[in-house]
Amino acid sequence: MMAAVTDLMQRVEPFVEADVAAIIQGITGRTGRQHSQLMRAYGTRIVGGVSPYSDVDEIDGVAIFRSCAEAVSATGATASVVMVPPLAVLAAIREAISAGIRLIVTIAEGMPVADAVVALEEVHAARVRWIGPSTPGIAIPGVLKLGFLPDVSLAPGTLGVMAKSGTLSYEVCHRLVGRGFGQSLWVGVGGDAVKGTRFADILPFMLADPKTRGIVVIGEIGGSEEEELAATMIALRCTKPVFALIAGRTAREGIMMGHAGALILGNVGTVDSKKEALVGAGAQVFTRIQELVDAVTTGLEPKAGENTCC
Amino acid sequence: MMLLEHDAKMLLAQDGVPVPDGFLASTAAPAAVGAEPCMVKAQVPIGGRGKAGGIRRAETIAEQHQALAQLLGTTIKGHTVRACRVEEIVQGTECYLSFSLDPVRGRLHVLVSAQGGVDIEAHAGKSALLAADAAFTLGAAIDATRQLAGGIASPIRETMIEAAEQLVAEFFKFEATLLEVNPLFVRRDGSWVAGDMKFTVDDNALVRQPRLSDLINRRADAYPESALKLANGFDFVVIDPAGEIGLVTTGAGLSMQILDEIAARGHKPFNFCDIRTGQLRGDPTRLVRALQWIAAGPSVRSVLINFFAGITNLGEIAHLLVAAWKAVPELSAPVTVRLIGNGYHEAIAVFEAAGNPLRIEVDLDRAIAAALAPLGGAYR
Repeated sequence: MMAAVTDLMQRVEPFVEADVAAIIQGITGRTGRQHSQLMRAYGTRIVGGVSPYSDVDEIDGVAIFRSCAEAVSATGATASVVMVPPLAVLAAIREAISAGIRLIVTIAEGMPVADAVVALEEVHAARVRWIGPSTPGIAIPGVLKLGFLPDVSLAPGTLGVMAKSGTLSYEVCHRLVGRGFGQSLWVGVGGDAVKGTRFADILPFMLADPKTRGIVVIGEIGGSEEEELAATMIALRCTKPVFALIAGRTAREGIMMGHAGALILGNVGTVDSKKEALVGAGAQVFTRIQELVDAVTTGLEPKAGENTCC
Repeated sequence: MMLLEHDAKMLLAQDGVPVPDGFLASTAAPAAVGAEPCMVKAQVPIGGRGKAGGIRRAETIAEQHQALAQLLGTTIKGHTVRACRVEEIVQGTECYLSFSLDPVRGRLHVLVSAQGGVDIEAHAGKSALLAADAAFTLGAAIDATRQLAGGIASPIRETMIEAAEQLVAEFFKFEATLLEVNPLFVRRDGSWVAGDMKFTVDDNALVRQPRLSDLINRRADAYPESALKLANGFDFVVIDPAGEIGLVTTGAGLSMQILDEIAARGHKPFNFCDIRTGQLRGDPTRLVRALQWIAAGPSVRSVLINFFAGITNLGEIAHLLVAAWKAVPELSAPVTVRLIGNGYHEAIAVFEAAGNPLRIEVDLDRAIAAALAPLGGAYR
């Protein structure tokens, strides 16, 4: 098992580079401008903004470009946070890919599934990482955030967090931070059915990252993402403790619960199916927030010790 | 969202997809007469209706009325039967055809069989069910289906290819995620009829699908959650009409979790709500609507509001909450508010200036306990 993890650590690059230079597509919109300021205040290197129809050269000290290609060639940015309306997300992703962007974070909720399928195919073909749609973002707490994860829930620490839900992860992490447990990496994957990055895609990075001592999974009803994660835990011989919360036990079959992906059909997507798979892979699974928080705080040391690896 | 069978059939029939003659009945003695014999099918958006007793065969009009009387108003997997489709009985070879999106890989999954029936999925893997997947485009889907149909004997093969080409075009036209026809009847003359149909479409695409959004708006009583979201921009789902605690919450995941937390404490939540505080933008309308719907819950005796506001200032939210609460005087149940985020002290000042009409908590578990306290009984 040690060999598998050591091998992984040598193979896997960081999920996101700490000094990554990012642009914002849609920076002149209300949301884009506000979050650009908040991301910069958090320490993120926002090196430019894209707004095809704007005639200003600068907003709040950030250079504005007419296209992604212009922004990338002027700034060398490799990441983009896309803050455009849902029906414009696909075009924005395509523009970012062709400009050479390597990491795309799209926050808009409501991207049509047919658009997401096309985007998925194109990011795969270009080997570009896409977080979204409808993600609150990603963060290396204390270093950077791409998106709008709230500062009150962010603190540097040893937990790797992957979450379908923004608000539920804010609540869980806020309580954990209050108990002294911050995060090494936080990735919101969003609540849609078709998405760029899934739980199972993130696991290798968290296993390889020596700062990550435990993994918190915020899942919910619908789809098969938790089951895929369980299969990957087994395949990668996951030795780090995994604490999972699955929301939606009270949901009714056939009724969508806010998130486009949160829909039970037949026996697919139920809390029980996910719990069984994750427990079978060695995870601890909870249905109440406080139970998860208590398990993390009794099962892990809050600060990384000397012997951080494995 | 899954369209009701009747609506899916009417929609696709407009484009020339052959369906059995039938009508929608919402009373036990409908004006339309229908065929003898006929099928009476409960209209609920779930699979497995037949096994759950939602489909009856009626030999006479009297039996049809009797079946309607028995089915209407019953509940199947949590869904009240508000209407039934009364439909002529079709003869032919029962086949099966389905197109579905594989969300993990972003591809189209195609299933074809010359043997349909209720247990088709249980036979998956056996020789009768032919499966393939294709790129998520109309052209690739048609190629894959033609290839699959090669495993079916003529003359059913030719009819199945014709049906598949027509149906998969509808799948892409309406941005569906599932279109399953089972049984698909193939007649001796080579014609076909869609006996039963499951049609699931993408809610996110409704804004650019005028025929679907028109359908939702026209039949708002059959699609209350989707119609409500189209009209108001946020999610509100009545979970239990007899629920005791109304919820005004934001964020789908945390809102679902709060339902679970309340249920785990032995109480019945009235509703699910994802108000999206980031979209309020100084307008209390969404909050007023949510409080009005909660006030209309006959058993609601307590209200819990929970906003974990990442960005929106809590002072602004407090102003909106006070305004909304004043605008819904019919709400007599006590209201507990848990707020967290920036501007907490500003929010407290706003509530104080308004005479503290709402109970404020900073911790979610304490807020849940406070909101459940007036209900007594099962609270642990």
